[in-house]
Order: sequence, then structure tokens, then C-alpha cells
Amino acid sequence: MSRARRAFFRNRTAIAGLVMLGLVVLAAVAAPLAPYDPETRTDAFRSPPDADHWLGTDQNGFDVFSRVVFGARSALLVALAAVGFALAVGVPLGLVAGWYGGWVDGVISRVVDVMLAFPSVLLAVAIAAAFGGGSVRTVILAVGIVIAPPFVRQVRAAVLQVRSLDYVAAARALGANDARLLFRTILPNCIAPILVLATLNTGIAILDAAGLSFLGLGPPETYPDWGVMLTKARVYIQHDEQWMLLPPGLAISLTVLGFNLLGDGLRDAFDPRRRS
Amino acid sequence: MSYALRRILVTFPLLLAVSLLVFALADALPGDAADWRFAKQPEAKEAWRKARGLDDPFLVRWGRYVAGFATRLDLDRSYQDDEPVGPELFRKLAATFELALCAMVLGVLVGLLVGILSAVFPRSPLDYLGSVLALGGISVPIFWLGMVLIVVAVKVLGFPFSTNRYDPALQERVADFRTHLYLLESLVRFRLDVLASCARNLLLPSLALSTIPMAVVTRMTRSAMLEEMGKDYATTARAKGLPARRVILKHVLRNALIPIVTATGLQFGQLMGGAVLTETVFSWPGLGRYIVASGVEARDTPVIAGGILLVATTFILVNLLVDLLYVLIDPRTRRAP
Repeated sequence: MSRARRAFFRNRTAIAGLVMLGLVVLAAVAAPLAPYDPETRTDAFRSPPDADHWLGTDQNGFDVFSRVVFGARSALLVALAAVGFALAVGVPLGLVAGWYGGWVDGVISRVVDVMLAFPSVLLAVAIAAAFGGGSVRTVILAVGIVIAPPFVRQVRAAVLQVRSLDYVAAARALGANDARLLFRTILPNCIAPILVLATLNTGIAILDAAGLSFLGLGPPETYPDWGVMLTKARVYIQHDEQWMLLPPGLAISLTVLGFNLLGDGLRDAFDPRRRS
Repeated sequence: MSYALRRILVTFPLLLAVSLLVFALADALPGDAADWRFAKQPEAKEAWRKARGLDDPFLVRWGRYVAGFATRLDLDRSYQDDEPVGPELFRKLAATFELALCAMVLGVLVGLLVGILSAVFPRSPLDYLGSVLALGGISVPIFWLGMVLIVVAVKVLGFPFSTNRYDPALQERVADFRTHLYLLESLVRFRLDVLASCARNLLLPSLALSTIPMAVVTRMTRSAMLEEMGKDYATTARAKGLPARRVILKHVLRNALIPIVTATGLQFGQLMGGAVLTETVFSWPGLGRYIVASGVEARDTPVIAGGILLVATTFILVNLLVDLLYVLIDPRTRRAP
């Protein structure tokens, strides 16, 4: 692990990703220091950036800068919750499918195949709509379900790789039961690929969630969320009011880029062949 | 049994399972268009539900739906006016298909080129351009990029932007078209005025959408090329005196193409669905936007079920095609193990 850690910290792009995410986390933590409340109307509507409102105000009179800062909370909450859901569902299913094989594996793998036969954005739209749409919770659930199948596949493949190794047989010979074998013996050796997948999928989750919000299936218009902010920006770019368009989009891009760089860095660090 | 045949056969149960999931999701939607249509006449609604067979058990309705689609390409009738939803859905599917196809072609061409060049010249400025493309395409939200593109192209550069698929003045020139694939059909019929109009209207949305496959293909090409270039057969080919260009284009690229083709097929399917965001930004009359606007918002269940089923079916068929193409590129897969 320490060799992987050293490889990771020598990787400049991975550190850049970490710095970007640090900024986002800082914004989320320090959000109450923002100059305005993100859901309180000011007396300026759709006004361009000036000294009072650094990034201008939107159609509701909300301060764009404060909403971008608070939006970091929404993005991180949704993405981490969705990935958490995918992990909670995907890891046990993958472990069971890879370990027991047979019809259990058959059923789980076919369900995964069917879910992967859908374009993910459309599946997320259908799930969000089926749950009623219109809240942060439905977005988390829809995105979580959509990104879960790759976790099942990855964990299943990792289990297949290690299940017949000597150390597993040794643990079994010592009397370990299935649950102990799966979670204490096998799972720790599959952590690296799961961690990489989870990091990369956090970025995907942010993009998917923003897309759902943009399509009107996310939280209500007043909620400080980057995707929601862009829904109305579409209307106002026709009036040359670009200050509502650029900040949320740049914030999403920076965050997702951060997760992608971090994920790539972790993958390279864990994979001895990729270390240069 | 040959690999190809087996691959074709497993497609049927997959399609069946996909239709079941689609039908279940559409069925789970809270409320439907009929609630509004018969807002003050519960008896009329009951009679209507009975006549449409909506009170039958779930599996019966699903079986009827699948049978209708499989035998007549029928996708049920709208809950709003009882008109068949199929014709409009297929028209929208054609619009989405052309958008995804153009984005795909653009993305694959640029991605292959940049990917090959960055592998051949590592750490060159081109390689850095490649990394920017590869990371940007998967990090920037596609709908935001689309809006930025509109601002730059339309507001700054004055590019004529239209939300039609072709210039309405050309209405008569497309009257005899058999399909709704205006771009492809005008190309086949060599009707250049229609072709130019279609291409111009497709340019901005497909440019925005192409960034996704561009990123994936650039990244895959670069790593696959680097991996193949390091193998013994490439060294051997160089050692026996073949020019580097020939080794790279004939030997290495052909092997590197195998994972790239798979990724491309998967990407095409994702684009068909992911296009919903691009279509919304550019008001492109495609299937994704139609599913959200006329299906989800109006709660017209058959539109949602039919639309998603069409996209998923296209996705599955494209992946099937890619897997069969595989057999052509990689002779090793011709015999099943």
C-alpha cells in the first residue's frame, strides 16, 4: 500500500485533481460564509456582476455566487449518496454472484446485463419519473441505481480472480464461514479496483444528477444546485445574460474533472504495470 | 454452434427482458394522462380503461404490448387522444439516430486521429491536446457545453442556427422521401440542397454531442496503440525492415482497433440515450426530448414506454452489429472456444 501511496503522490495530475476537489469541499464546508443566503431574494433581478453581486443575480433575485458556493454541497451530497447506494447494493451482489456462481450468479448477471442494455441517462430519467421526480432523494436513487451495475460486474470479476487462490483455501481450512470469507478474506483484496471505480463514478454521478435537474426531474427551482441553475440559464442566454450560464457549468466541470484525475491517479498507483 | 449465431440468439431474451423493465417503469409512473383527460368524469374513465384493456393483469398487458411490437411494430396508442404513438416515435427516432450518427462519426474520426498521433508522438503538444480532449469530453456537462457552443457560434460568430431538421422552404424537395432520415436519404438521392440544409442544422448539436465519443475514442486509441506498439510482433516487423508508418498503420492499428470497435458500439448506444440532453438544449426534434416533454411531463405512458423501448432496441441491435463486426476484424473469435 505504501508503494502505491508513494506512486500516487508522485503523480502531478492526480495531485491537481486532489486540489480541485479540495476547493469544492472547502466551498461546501465554508458555504455559510457566502455573502448572501442562496434561497433569499435580493432586490436585484437578472442583474449583471457588480461589487454587490460578484457573479450577478438570477431571475429569482438570488445571488449567483452564493448559489454556486452552496451548490457544492448539493453536488457532493448527491454524488456521494448515489455512489454509496451503488456500493451498498453492488458490492454484496457482486460478492455473492462471484462466490456462489450457479443460478444465483445467472440471475444477478442477467439483471445486470438488462440494465446495461439501456443508455444510462434515459434509464435514469425513467427511474426518476417512476419515483415521482422533483426531489433530491429521487435524483440520488435514480443515479444510484443506474451506476450500480458496473460495481456488481467489477466485484464479481475480482472475486472470480481470487476465489481459488491458496490464501482463501487456507482461510476456509481454518474454519471461516462464508460471510467471513467474503467480507474479511476476499473483499479486502478487491478494494483497489472498487475504490477506482467509485471515484470515477462519483464524477459520472455528478454529471447524471445535473442532467436530471436540467431536464426538470431534480429539486425545485429555488434549491441551490448547479444543474437546476442551468435549467433557466438556457432561456436567458438568448438575452445575452451569460453570467447565469458560465459559473455553474464551470463548477460542475471542475468537480467532475477533479474526480476523474483522482480516479486515474488511483488506478495508476494501484497498478504496478502503469507506474512509470 | 458458431459464435455469430449464438450471439444473435441471446439477443431475443435480452430484448424481452428489456421490454419488461421498460413496461414496468412506465407502469409505475404516478398518475397518467388519462387522469387529466377524464378529470371530471370517472365513469367515462372507467369505460375507457375497460375498452383499452388497462385493467387487465400486468403480465397480460405486457404480453399484448410485446406481441403488438414484435408483429406489427405497434407501440400502443396515446392516453391523450387514442392515436397510435408509433409513427411519431419512429420519426423522432430517425432524428435522434442521425444526430447520434453524425456525433459518432465526428467523434471517432477526430478521436482516432488524435489518439494515434499522441501514441506515436508521446509528450508532444498533440499528446497534450489529446489528454485535454480525453478528460474534457468526460468532465464537462454536455448540455452546458451545448449552451456555450450556442453562445459562441450563434451570438459571437453569427452562425445561422435553426431548430428544424431542414430549411422549411425545401418542403417540396423532401416530399417524396421514403424515410425520415433526411440527411442519409438526401445523400443517397444526391439532393445537395437538402443535404446542405440538413448538415448545417445538424452541425452544432452533433459537434456538442461528439465530445463524448471523441474523449472515449482518443483515450482508448492512445492506450491500445501504446500497448500494441510495445509488443514483440511490432518490434519484429520493424526489425525485418518495414517502414514505421507501415508497421503502425497495418500491424499495430489493426490489433488496437479491436477494443476501440467495442467501445465505439457501446458509445453509440449511450449517445442515442444521452442525446436527450443535447436535444433539449438545441431544441432538436429527437426521441429523447420527445420522451421527456410529451411522455414524462404529460404522463403519456405509451410514449415513454415506446420511446425508451425504441432507444434500448437500437442500442442492443447496434451492440449486436458491433459484436458481429468483431468477427471480421479479429479472426480469432470466428471459432467459439
